[in-house]
This record gives sequence, C-alpha cells and structure tokens, in this order.
Amino acid sequence: MYGENTGQLRAELTTLLRQHRIQQRLGGKGIHTVPETTTIAEREELGHQISRFRRTVLVWCLQAVNASSPTADLEGTSLRTCQPVEELRYRLATAIEASSAGTTSLDELTASQGFPIVETWRLAAKAAALGEHDFGAGVGYVQLNDDQCLTVLKDAAEVVRALVALDRRYEGIPDWERLNEQGRLGRAAEVCAASSGYGEPNYTVDLRGWRPPPKLTRDPVLPGLDGILQGEHNLLVTLMNFPNAHSMRVVLESQLIVSREMASHARDVDPELAEKWQQRTDTYTLLIQETRDVRGLLGNGGAAAGQAAMVAARTQSLDLDHPIDGTPLRQLDRLFTQIDSRLAEVIERGTSQNLYLLRVKLPRLSHKSEGLIRPARTRYTPIDSRAQNALIPIVRSRLRPQPEPPRAPKDAGQSRSAFEAAITHRPTPRGATPDVPSL
Amino acid sequence: MLLAHALTLAEARSYVAALADVARTFDASVEYERVLLQLDFIHGDDTPALDTAGPTDDRETLYSVASSAIEELHDHGVDGLQVELVLDMLEVARDKDLP
Repeated sequence: MYGENTGQLRAELTTLLRQHRIQQRLGGKGIHTVPETTTIAEREELGHQISRFRRTVLVWCLQAVNASSPTADLEGTSLRTCQPVEELRYRLATAIEASSAGTTSLDELTASQGFPIVETWRLAAKAAALGEHDFGAGVGYVQLNDDQCLTVLKDAAEVVRALVALDRRYEGIPDWERLNEQGRLGRAAEVCAASSGYGEPNYTVDLRGWRPPPKLTRDPVLPGLDGILQGEHNLLVTLMNFPNAHSMRVVLESQLIVSREMASHARDVDPELAEKWQQRTDTYTLLIQETRDVRGLLGNGGAAAGQAAMVAARTQSLDLDHPIDGTPLRQLDRLFTQIDSRLAEVIERGTSQNLYLLRVKLPRLSHKSEGLIRPARTRYTPIDSRAQNALIPIVRSRLRPQPEPPRAPKDAGQSRSAFEAAITHRPTPRGATPDVPSL
Repeated sequence: MLLAHALTLAEARSYVAALADVARTFDASVEYERVLLQLDFIHGDDTPALDTAGPTDDRETLYSVASSAIEELHDHGVDGLQVELVLDMLEVARDKDLP
C-alpha cells in the first residue's frame, strides 16, 4: 500500500537525517578513541552504493510527481512561468539523468549491509522500489481526487528536500557525487511542498496502492468460530471467479444458513450485530426465492460452491462450549460485508451482460390448440425484463453494503510531521544543555 | 427433454418450491431449497420454469404430489439412484417440517 511504503521510506530517511559525522559512520576518522576501520577506497565504494540507493529514491519521487499531476507540454514555455510542480519534475528528471550512479541491483536491494547507515539507505531504496507498484494500482491522477494528488505531491517534495539535506551532509565522503543543481532542486522541492501544503491534507491516499491478492488458507480446518472465519475467507477468495448460476445459488443458500446460525450465537454477545445478521438472513431468503428460475452456464463456480457448502456444514455443526469473544464476530462481520459486496457485483454483472437469464413460461398463439393459446412454452429472458423485476432492487437496496467513507490510518499525520521535523532538525551544539530532564 | 419429462420436472420443482415457501421452520425451508438445487443439478440447464400459480398451501398435499412427481422422473430416463437420493432429501426436509 502507498501508506505502508511511504511510511517506511519516511522512517528510514528520518533515521538518516538524525545522523551526523557521516565519515565516522562509514568507518572513517572520528574521535581519537574510535579507530579508522575502512580505507578511502572502501569509503568511496560505500559512497557509490549509497548513490545508487539514492537514485532509486529519486526515481520514486519523479514517479510520484508524474502520478499526482499530468505532464504539461513545456514546449515554448520557460520554467519561470511554470507551476512549481513542473519545475520540480524538470529538476528531478535532470538530476536522475545527470547521475552517474547505476541502477540498484536486486541482490543489492535484498542483501543486508554491514554498516548501519548503508543498511538504512538500502531499506529506504527498498521501500521506494516497492512503492513503484502503487502508481499502477490506484495511485494515479485519474483515480485520485485533488486533495489526494496534493498529498502525494507534498510527500514527494518532502522526500526530495530530505535527499538534498543529506546530499549536503555527505559531501565529505571520498568521490561523492553531488546532486545535479542541488540548490535549485532543493528550492523547487521547498516551493512545491509549500504550495501543495496549503489545503487540508487527505491521508486516505495511504489506503490505496498495490496489495497482495488474497490467497486460500490451506491449513487444516480450525475448530470452532475460527473454522467459520477460515471458510468465509476461502469462499471470498474463490468468489473472485465468476460463478455460474447454480453455484451462485449454492453460495446464496450457504450464506443464508451461516447468517442465521451466527445471529443466534451472537445474540447474547452483541445484540446489534445479531440484529444486522438477522436482516442479512431475510435478504438472502428473498434472494433465494427470486433466483429459483435463474439459469446460466457461463462461469466457473465449482470451487466457490464447494467452499460454501463446507462453511454451511461447519456452521450447522458449531458447538460453542465457551463464551464468544467480540473480536472474531467483528472479523466475521467484515467478511460478510465483503462477500455481500462481491455477490452484488456478480449478480449485477450476470444481469447486465446476460450471463444469467431467467426462464419464464410464455403462452403463445397457435391455431392448432383450443382457444388459440398453447401454454407451457419456456423462454429465456433477461433478468431485468418485465418478467422479473424484483431481483435487482433487492440486490441494490438490501444486499449491496452502504459505502463507507475511507478513514485515514491513525499514524498517517504523525509519520509526516515527524519527517518534516527531521528535515529541519539541527544537531545540538557542543556544550549546550539538552532541553530534557537529565540525571 | 421431451414435453412429458419437462412437465413432470416443472411440477416437481414447483411443488418443492411451494413447500419451501410454506415450511414451518427455517431448517425445513433450507432443506427444501436443497432438494430444488439437487433437481436442478441433475438436469443441468435443461430445467423448466416454476409454475407458482397452481399449488395449494396444504403441506401434506404438496408433499404427496412433489414426491410422486419426483418418482415419475425415473420413467423419463432420470437415473434411479438420483431419484432415490432426491426423495430421501425430501423426506429429511419433511421430518424437519413436522411440528
């Protein structure tokens, strides 16, 4: 996720920003009690390695800027008249192009390093490399609203500011390559961070981005309520494949049973949840009645039907010999919500694309039968036709969960404010009294 | 599927669906729905629509006509073992529906 990767990146850069005496941290000369452990050539090589890690972070910054604002056509436009974001984009591209450090290899990114400072750079580069996945998975200009775009832009600008600050501090490393036009890059980042930070930040962008696809839990069946949770999770995973109509009905029936049984178990622990699940039972009862004549051969729902049957059987044989805790019930409620949402999608798609059809009996005129009516001729019709108009309203009004506004993670603001504090952080002068209590 | 087979299956489905609707207990209703799913599973996509206009509300009558319609499916080429299994499921559902 974007929040996870950028949080990691900020945390590592914060650690680096709070470190001074860089030569000493690379095994160079320091105070007289600490001997020199690395040669100049070795420190040169460590500096090159840090440059490669830094380049990976710079590339992430450029991608973040591109994701948060569309590329403008700069032809015929001078930088002085451009928006701050355009200048930052240009400076970043120039800095990456001018860097002689090569790209970081996968071995370098995954192997832990001996020096803690290099290891911190590696973790920052790793977070940046992982963060590149987010821009193709929901963190893009099209998917984000304006506030979210500005938040991404500000995040990138703050990271650039941190890189510039570190670049100044690392100049003592032998053969250190400074960032191209370091001062202009830093100013562009400052202006961009300031201009994008006027509005209210929208940290819900942290919830977007790439996340690993859910997988089946193939562990042995857990006893009690955990087994129900396991079964519902597996059902949700298998429902990712579009089920045929028969499998869909088996799933509906299983959810009817699970809802009702769990509502009775939860009545003493959480009456509100029990009432909600009772309503879910009523919804599934209606859905089963309305889908009795629904047919459709397309789809692959064998696995979902199998999981559904298992979880229904587990629920019916559930014998709780100890009081239920509220936590698994809330987890089960979240799974119910996800399954309802997925089933609503399935039925809507099956209906709109005519993957699910309705069998109806249509009388037709015939001159060979009495009264010119020949009854009992079955025809397929679309589900949203005049013959069946109850299913879709039930799905939309009762099955589909009400969308909840996303809530930003609790530590999203704290992570960013700590990072900003680290950028402007200055070391305590020698002999100064720390402003914290001491012995 | 011949017309006679289709009519018999339509009757069986309609009566079982009616039984599910008028069942006294939740468990019985679920079991009747399972009978319906099993009938659909046996016939694949080749099942006629329900005819909900006709059936009565009397459970005993519905059970009798549903049972005889399912038995009659054997005469239309449905595997005898499958028919017996469905009849057994219907009986289980009925047991759960008894007061």
